[in-house]
Amino acid sequence: MMNKTTRIILWMIGILVLVLIPKLFGVYYTNMVVTFAILSVFALSLNMLLGYTGLLSFGHAMFFGFGGYGTALALKHIGGLGLLPAIGIGVLSAVVLALILCPLVVRVSGTAFAMLHLAFGQLMYVLALKMYRVTGGEDGIANFPVPGILTESLKNSPENFYYMAMIILCLCAWMMWFFTKTPFGQIQVGMRDNANRIDYLGYKVPQSKAVIYTLSAMFAGVAGSIYGLFLNLVSADGSLGIVMSFVPIVSVMIGGVGSFFGPILGVAVFKMVDELILRYTESTELVMGIILIVVMMFMPMGFMGLINLLKKRIKAWFVARAEMEKVS
Amino acid sequence: MNPVVSTYIVQGIYGITYGMILFLIASGLNIIFGMMGILNMAHAAFLMLAGYFCYQVVQITGNFWMGLIFAPILVAVLGVLMEQLFLRRVLGSHVGELILTMGIANVIVAGIKKIWGTESLPLQMPDLLSGMVSIAGMGYPVYRLFVIGLALAVMLFMMLLLYRTRLGKVVRAAVSDREMVNALGININLVSMLVFGVGTWMAGLAGVVIAPILTVFPGLADQVGMDAFIVVVTGGFGSLQGAFIVSIIFGLLSSYGVQFVSQFAPVLIVVFMAIVLVFRPNGLFGAKER
Amino acid sequence: MNILETRDLHHNFGPLKVLFGVDLQVEQGERHAVIGPNGAGKTTLFNTITGTYVPTSGKVLFKGKDITGYPPHKLARIGIGRSFQITSTFTNLMAFQNIRLAILSKDGIRFNLFRRVDRMKRVTEETEEMLRRINLYEDRDTPVSALSYGKSRALEISMALATDPEMVLLDEFSAGMSKEETHDAVALIRKLTEGKTVVIIEHDMDVVFNLADRITVLHYGKILATGKPEDIRNNQDVKDAYLGDLEV
Repeated sequence: MMNKTTRIILWMIGILVLVLIPKLFGVYYTNMVVTFAILSVFALSLNMLLGYTGLLSFGHAMFFGFGGYGTALALKHIGGLGLLPAIGIGVLSAVVLALILCPLVVRVSGTAFAMLHLAFGQLMYVLALKMYRVTGGEDGIANFPVPGILTESLKNSPENFYYMAMIILCLCAWMMWFFTKTPFGQIQVGMRDNANRIDYLGYKVPQSKAVIYTLSAMFAGVAGSIYGLFLNLVSADGSLGIVMSFVPIVSVMIGGVGSFFGPILGVAVFKMVDELILRYTESTELVMGIILIVVMMFMPMGFMGLINLLKKRIKAWFVARAEMEKVS
Repeated sequence: MNPVVSTYIVQGIYGITYGMILFLIASGLNIIFGMMGILNMAHAAFLMLAGYFCYQVVQITGNFWMGLIFAPILVAVLGVLMEQLFLRRVLGSHVGELILTMGIANVIVAGIKKIWGTESLPLQMPDLLSGMVSIAGMGYPVYRLFVIGLALAVMLFMMLLLYRTRLGKVVRAAVSDREMVNALGININLVSMLVFGVGTWMAGLAGVVIAPILTVFPGLADQVGMDAFIVVVTGGFGSLQGAFIVSIIFGLLSSYGVQFVSQFAPVLIVVFMAIVLVFRPNGLFGAKER
Repeated sequence: MNILETRDLHHNFGPLKVLFGVDLQVEQGERHAVIGPNGAGKTTLFNTITGTYVPTSGKVLFKGKDITGYPPHKLARIGIGRSFQITSTFTNLMAFQNIRLAILSKDGIRFNLFRRVDRMKRVTEETEEMLRRINLYEDRDTPVSALSYGKSRALEISMALATDPEMVLLDEFSAGMSKEETHDAVALIRKLTEGKTVVIIEHDMDVVFNLADRITVLHYGKILATGKPEDIRNNQDVKDAYLGDLEV
């Protein structure tokens, strides 16, 4: 166990690194970190359902997209709207959507839950494509203003955007982590393991699911909203499509479904592979496909599982060595 | 006959053709899911692969019929290999299997792009099937009728297989209670292998017959796969009659939809799915949660 | 006074009738055993009382209040706990976390998203106290899936009791236990249910006659007899139907 001082020092170093990234690495990598953080929060929000509650959703991009569209539409149509209220509107639209769906989806689980989300996800996607007067159809909504909080506009200042995005996203990640440590987080894990017993212990299962569901949607909405601002574009394919729903599922599975930090690791692997592939080969599909196959066949708990296994091995090795020394 | 009516009829045939093709794909997906609880995301990729195989066979032999026979068998073998070499060894959850099949789909798409490129490749239908046939003073496209007939034949074959043979009995039993069948000392692995083979073969067949209509291109899997997936979901996992009814409804919805509300034809389908699932989360004919 | 009462309880599974008008009466503070041959409807009776099934007809009363068809969480909140014949714990969680979930429910901490649970001193203390009482303190950080059968059974029972219910229903708590484990379990139940009403379903007649204050014999979905252990032992109907076979 780490003691308090080392932990504080590690936190300080981590924050310092995050603060210095735009100063040290230039625009390209700064933007990469922003994408990474956005997708991480998105994947973490899905993991609240998949990893912590055992609910697989094929339509999580709905909430991501609603966050994006909400913010983009607000900024486009309401003159002089501030950045935070705009993000708030995006998040609120995701939450409202979740609250509407709640009564329907909390009563089912397993395949039915996944499929219901596929249906609603596709519905939103097709509607976004077809209602082009509002959503811009295939082109989406682009070139909406991106006001700054202290500065004029964030459009041409990636550094300021980075700080704004990272503060919000890190806060979200921290909140999600914190939730797993609260009593409610415990109930969530219990529900994944044995929903029936949770019921017998006196907790309301559907209501608890509804709360998690709405929270998960909220965080997906934050990620989507910031994603839209970041690209200054929100489109059906980029934010709402089935591909976007699978991105967090794959990240969670690659990273490790059983742990909190797994999804972040998964997104990191995802992004890294993306980056490397583009440099060396054109065949993204091939490399990604092979990774998925290998991970699922040999690392059922993902990269996080691998790390934990290695940790255990190394620990065991040290213990064995210490015993050997004692004997000799 | 009234030209308006005849347009409707031809449109209907187009719809039913697409519906039948969807049924071929969906029922393959369905028996695999019913049997093994695996959502095979590579199903549509196999379908597309069969289209390309057929294209290649036609390139070499110049004979569509050879393609129709061999391409589906070839992908069926690949499907069985996937099941034996990969799926069977996945530890952990069904989600893991799903991701694995996604990985395999990716690899197949990558391979197709590597070998055949990203262009759309045309596949000539044989002379025998091109053109129109005239029945009661109206012209019908022969190829569509052929597809409908072929799909019906396959369906009949499936019904016989499922309801008249011992293998079919075992499969139906395994769909409803896998453990039980295992306990009865039936070699469930062999049965799974066969089911996977037949399921993939049906996808392959669909891939071949759809190729002359849509041409073959690397996006084919996404386009048709999503529709077939929606059919299975709406009809209910593991239910063949559900898949059949919904396939036909979807085929007709999409062909008449294009005619009347061209913009919103895809919306119709998805709205239909959403409404069905709201009232029956397991699909029209789906069993309760397994 | 009767704490639990069922009135003319019927339950069918489709065409199959399992309960034919059961009038069970459990007195406040007693340990009441429900016995009967296999297929007599004991577990079904439990399930209709504890909200797993809604009975086809009839009423369930708890302290005079109609609780027929209450869902499990509602029953838990008015003071009815139950354990399961087939162990039903949170297998991927540690023993400590299992008990803690029960303690949290008892303390009414449900939708708290603002405090870390491991910083809740009272909850931790109560959980540890419970673990000590059931001799699982050493195993607090063991995942339940890695516990021995006896220990996981002990956990199963104590989760039902950790919510501090007024009445607890234990479904074959000794199922699959060795003689020794059963002996320990009986001692554990005596210790933990001090002052509570306990209803048990049990096959092991030693346990029944050792533990129960009163016994109800269920036979083909009907109550054959209710009474003190010695009355049941001497009841001719019961002997004919059931105990005779066992040569008690």
